[in-house]
Amino acid sequence: MNGSRFAGARGWPRALGRIGLQAGLAALGASVLVWAMLPLAPGDPVDMILAARRIEEPTAAQIAELRARFGLDLPLWQRYLHWLGGVLRGDLGLSWRTGEPVAEALLRRLPATLQLVGLSLAVSVVWSLALALIAVRWAGRWPDRLVMAYTRVFAAIPAFVLALLVLQFVVVGLGLGRVLSGGAGITLVLAAVVLGIDRAAGWTQLLRATLAEQMARGPADVARARGAREARILAVIALPPALLPWLTALGISVGGLIGGAPVLETIFTWPGVGAYLLQALSVRDVPVIQAFVLIAVLAYVAVSSSVDALALLIDPRLRAPREGRA
Amino acid sequence: MIGLSRRAATAPRPGAMPPTDFPAALLRHPSGRWGLALCLLLLGAAAAGPWLAPHPPNLPDYAATLRPPGPGHWLGTDAMGRDQLSRLLDGARRSLGGAAAVTAAITLVGLLVGSLAALSGRWIDAALMRLVDVVMALPGLIVAFGVLGLLGPGYLNLLIALAAADWAYKARIARACALEAVRSPAAMVAREIGVPEWRVLAQHVLPSVLWPLLVLATLGLGGQIAAISAFSFLGLGVQVPHAEWGAMLAESRFHFQIAPWLLLAPALCIFVAVLASNLLGEALRDIATPEARS
Repeated sequence: MNGSRFAGARGWPRALGRIGLQAGLAALGASVLVWAMLPLAPGDPVDMILAARRIEEPTAAQIAELRARFGLDLPLWQRYLHWLGGVLRGDLGLSWRTGEPVAEALLRRLPATLQLVGLSLAVSVVWSLALALIAVRWAGRWPDRLVMAYTRVFAAIPAFVLALLVLQFVVVGLGLGRVLSGGAGITLVLAAVVLGIDRAAGWTQLLRATLAEQMARGPADVARARGAREARILAVIALPPALLPWLTALGISVGGLIGGAPVLETIFTWPGVGAYLLQALSVRDVPVIQAFVLIAVLAYVAVSSSVDALALLIDPRLRAPREGRA
Repeated sequence: MIGLSRRAATAPRPGAMPPTDFPAALLRHPSGRWGLALCLLLLGAAAAGPWLAPHPPNLPDYAATLRPPGPGHWLGTDAMGRDQLSRLLDGARRSLGGAAAVTAAITLVGLLVGSLAALSGRWIDAALMRLVDVVMALPGLIVAFGVLGLLGPGYLNLLIALAAADWAYKARIARACALEAVRSPAAMVAREIGVPEWRVLAQHVLPSVLWPLLVLATLGLGGQIAAISAFSFLGLGVQVPHAEWGAMLAESRFHFQIAPWLLLAPALCIFVAVLASNLLGEALRDIATPEARS
């Protein structure tokens, strides 16, 4: 995530190529780990499939059929390549519990989860940006202290607790319960606001700290000496360099948003992957969990590489070879 | 949401050591004072739980269900007539004790893997660090979901999953600190005057690895408490009938309208516990990296 990984890159194409290469390697490494869940799962997979389907006394023919169907007799490396080939063709295997293709079941539910994650990302970006700018504009005065106290408090409330409190006190308190039961848009907005606001606390703290640092540096002092207004210095001089570490942190915590989504979906009964995943977790339906982990990891790698590429756009120094840097 | 991904938090620089007046510096720090006091209070309550609890935590009393707070049941009773105060005290042992256990485990693993990588030859170092790279490329929460999926629901499995999700960053920091310390002038001089290598490691390398890890561990504690309660809330961690703050929240949901205290008390406990460890962690970080103090 820091600049050193671009050392030696000359200009755009090579820097971008490097990001792409690293993303590809990370995805490949992750795919090995995710695949390894299958052979690593304690117990014979056949027993687990039978348990997930609640078949108590299987016949020998049933066992042999399952072995052949799930490719359990092949050597490990063949199983990996076979699995990877399937993944590349969009085949994520069969659910142990239901026997239906995992990819189809997940794809049906994924759009709802992506809506939730996307909207909460937007909420937290706007919210943390606004709060941090307010805090630094009035640094040390009451708005700053208020923002800091606010971020302290919200950093200590896990999203699911906040979601419960909002659901019970705001929604039920205002008599909105009927509105929510239909899985309507308002559910999405509420869940996204809760998840986004929860995330925003840490990001606000980070952005405020880097903004304050920039405001105390030379360029800001020069602008101040030439009579620029504080708000202008903040927006024009301090904000662009402060955006970079903030963006990186955003990219990293997208993983937290994706992981947090199932919990919020459960609480707000939003029809995303959450309920499906939880069912799979409770009966150890490994292919489903595997597919969720794989998709989440790929999304995460994609987002953090895009952030790296965006960083190139914002900070030209990252594009230059290392020797060229001050 | 769960804080595992807040691993981007500033780590102490390799070579940083605690100030000589460490306990005093912690008490001088405003949030350190409060964080320490709250942490000690919570840990004390958890440790003394069995003696403080007015009732057995898992004993139902169907003659006294959903009682509001009052004499006899200071924090009321739940839908099975179990005393909420007793359950909160019992649950503290799982919420806080589990977070402490996970943190201790990842610190130890980080220390072992990091020092092994730093002190052994190129190949072991390279292999371990590539593994660390791959694990760090995965979001912590997702790793926890994956490992929990492998092992199945359960409290111990949850602790293992959370530890598996969060050891890699510690290993990387430990390696950087160990590399720095092994090559430090003090360690070189000690070797030069004939101090045996194991004493150099124990006296010069270990302390300078432990201190940054301790700071990181405290910073991560709040996230672990939140994670344990979140997974238990989903029914994937602590199993019935055992009490845990997140699991209590899950049970309280359906009786909220008539018994809001069942929701508020565990929520407040989680909030105070995470806040206390965050405050303590921030104070330790400020003491460890005075230049980064905001």
